[in-house]
Amino acid sequence: MDFSIDAKLRDRLEVERAWGRERVRPAGLEADRQGSPLAQDHPYFQDFVARGEGRTRWHGPGSKGEVPPPGVVVRALLVSEELAYWDRGVIVASPGPGLPEPNVLALGTEEQKERFLGPFVALDRPRWACFAMTEPSAGSDAAAICTTARKDGDHWILNGAKCFIGNASRADWILVQATLDPSKGRDAQRSFFVEKGTPGLGGFKIEKKMGLKAYESTSFSLVDCRVPASNLLGGEARYERRAGFKTAMRTFNAGRPVIAANAVGIGRAALDEALAFARNADRLGDPRIRDRIEALARRLRMARLCCLRAGWLADHGKPNIVEASMSKALGATVAEEATSLGMELLGAVGARGDHLIEKLYRDAKAMDIVEGTGQIQRVIMARQLVKLPRS
Amino acid sequence: MIDLDPGDDLELLRQTARSFALEELVPRLRDAEADRAVSASVRAAFAQIGLAGLELPESLGGAELGPLARAFVNEELGAGDAGAALALDPLGPALYPLLELGGEPALVEYGLPLLEEEGARAVLVCDDDASLEVVGDRLSGWVPWVPADRPDLVVVLTRDGALVLREGFESEVLRGAGLRAAGASALRFDAVPVAAQWRDTAAAARARGRARLYAASLLLGVLRHGAEFSRDYAQQRVAFGRPIAHHQGLAFLITDMHMAVEGARLLIHEAAWRAESAHPFEDAAASAWVETVSASVLVGPACVQILGGHGFMQDYPMEKAMREARALGLWLGGADAAREDAGRALCAGPPPVALSAGGIL
Ligand SMILES: Cc1cc2nc3c(=O)[nH]c(=O)nc-3n(C[C@H](O)[C@H](O)[C@H](O)COP(=O)(O)OP(=O)(O)OC[C@H]3O[C@@H](n4cnc5c(N)ncnc54)[C@H](O)[C@@H]3O)c2cc1C
Repeated sequence: MDFSIDAKLRDRLEVERAWGRERVRPAGLEADRQGSPLAQDHPYFQDFVARGEGRTRWHGPGSKGEVPPPGVVVRALLVSEELAYWDRGVIVASPGPGLPEPNVLALGTEEQKERFLGPFVALDRPRWACFAMTEPSAGSDAAAICTTARKDGDHWILNGAKCFIGNASRADWILVQATLDPSKGRDAQRSFFVEKGTPGLGGFKIEKKMGLKAYESTSFSLVDCRVPASNLLGGEARYERRAGFKTAMRTFNAGRPVIAANAVGIGRAALDEALAFARNADRLGDPRIRDRIEALARRLRMARLCCLRAGWLADHGKPNIVEASMSKALGATVAEEATSLGMELLGAVGARGDHLIEKLYRDAKAMDIVEGTGQIQRVIMARQLVKLPRS
Repeated sequence: MIDLDPGDDLELLRQTARSFALEELVPRLRDAEADRAVSASVRAAFAQIGLAGLELPESLGGAELGPLARAFVNEELGAGDAGAALALDPLGPALYPLLELGGEPALVEYGLPLLEEEGARAVLVCDDDASLEVVGDRLSGWVPWVPADRPDLVVVLTRDGALVLREGFESEVLRGAGLRAAGASALRFDAVPVAAQWRDTAAAARARGRARLYAASLLLGVLRHGAEFSRDYAQQRVAFGRPIAHHQGLAFLITDMHMAVEGARLLIHEAAWRAESAHPFEDAAASAWVETVSASVLVGPACVQILGGHGFMQDYPMEKAMREARALGLWLGGADAAREDAGRALCAGPPPVALSAGGIL
């Protein structure tokens, strides 16, 4: 057993810490103050790309980008935690193939990887991609989505509405989850690449959110939106029984520990701010305050270890369904606790609405909603632990 | 770099302890409670598998394994019968002050004689708030509970040192809320002669940290057993036409119990790893102990609740788990002193709290 991090990762975290302090946090505060997402031409994005970020893990035909070497997940989680410490919204706003990339790597045809990930190899400018599952009438119950896909010759025609989709209006392409027959549940679901500017893709509405304002969460519609048959992720042959839905959920299984790491980052930021505030106010001598700070630090440490455990299992190709859900459920809860305690320590200062902790308090809430709520994480765990039936 | 694989040796140790707990402790747990002791045959079996000298120095015939091995073994024994686990370990966590402060000579002088005497026991008293009074080489005061009937040796761990009492104290045997297989007494010290005394604040803190890990891992075992037993039961027991585990109120409670156990285990292992790799570990051990006690507040009563009325009856081991969990959490100064230690350390540190400072998580 070993709980240490090596010099390479330590150095990397130092670099990210400096970048976070100098660039990520200021960008997040700017977006929060202006109340809208960072514009696509914001210098932060240019510099992010110039830094070598925002690229795909795919390195050209035959690339095994989908099989990361051992240890990559744990390292990525710790980096992600560090960046979220500075601003989780800016992390999501940052360009790159994002949430759908793992699915494309795992299931896309070579031609699809070339077409859709190719532009992310040597970036000429900031580019985004995104994944659209949630609909106004179906979020947690992802099997109940009703955006339809109908085959029409060598095209698919998509109709429906999606909501809260990160970076949707600026994305080069959106991986849209749709159903061939809403009455058939999961079995009939497929993923489609819908490129920017495709006729029928429109009605973009950037939502006004409580927090995480740096990135756009966007609703849009698909009205007789025709995409080529070759835009069906993996091609028709790939879709065996229920594989469609499983493909979509793969994104979320991979994503849960990342959200957990982000939540720990937010929680740590809140704890540090709260400690600094309490120290300045000379309140750390009060054992009631000390006890609560201790509880938070302890639970943050535990949440981080749970998250790393989920990542470590993934790194070693071991099943991590329970651990991934556990890490997310716990991380999100602890982040809420941390920011709430921070607000309490600030007292009336927190109510002014101009302190970083107040922003973190708003940001943290989403961690228990995105990519499966805390309740859904428990449902997933219970399916494994006590064979909770699906219906 | 982070590696959560325990490796072959620890895994083998875990399996050995688990088999022993399942084969020897579990079938006799009500007998051990009633007898306030483990039977000679169980003792013999324990001696045979070589777990008795787990942390003793090799020079004294032990295996000289470290805190991780202790954590793994204690979890398994605690899952079998935590009281019996204590009864089987003559020195228990009293080993740590002897080793950390007195070194091998102290162990030879005060510890080894107990190992040679069947059923002899040492107890550790953590006098964190200095409620016991030392005048010259005499100690006075009162300890309301230790998990042993008439202990043979008392080791008192203070903030700045430790002392040993060999004779002259009075033990009043108690019923005990839990851990009855280990026995229970109150101790009265009336100007009792101090046999040995050492002062070393840093070594005392290390001993306290290791003792907390000892207790935490034993408690973790109790909680794991409670969570798993009640989970299995909930999948068998049917109410309103389906297994009770499939009612979401219980399903979520079961997932939360699972999370509490898993989370506490990670904190214990991390703190034990720190101790084993000679990193500062005292605050991490305090946190691990507090978290495990906090988990017990959820898991202890919940494992009874899941069994309903059956949980309340002694036909099932859940009521024992609930009592055992509560009693263990009060041991060695309980969670409050640990919370205070960890809180002070945290608040004294320079801001911001970089949890990843210095290459250790
Ligand atoms: C900031 C933000 C960004 C997002 N980004 C994306 C994105 O990029 N792509 C995307 O596809 N989606 C995205 N989402 C949507 C998100 O995934 C959903 O909001 C989430 O899955 C919950 O779905 P819902 O909002 O429809 O709530 P509902 O499903 O209506 O849930 C409402 C409540 O009911 C509870 N509930 C539901 N089912 C059960 C059950 N079986 N048992 C117990 N309780 C239950 C839920 O836990 C919740 O508390 C984003 C959301 C937010 C807030």
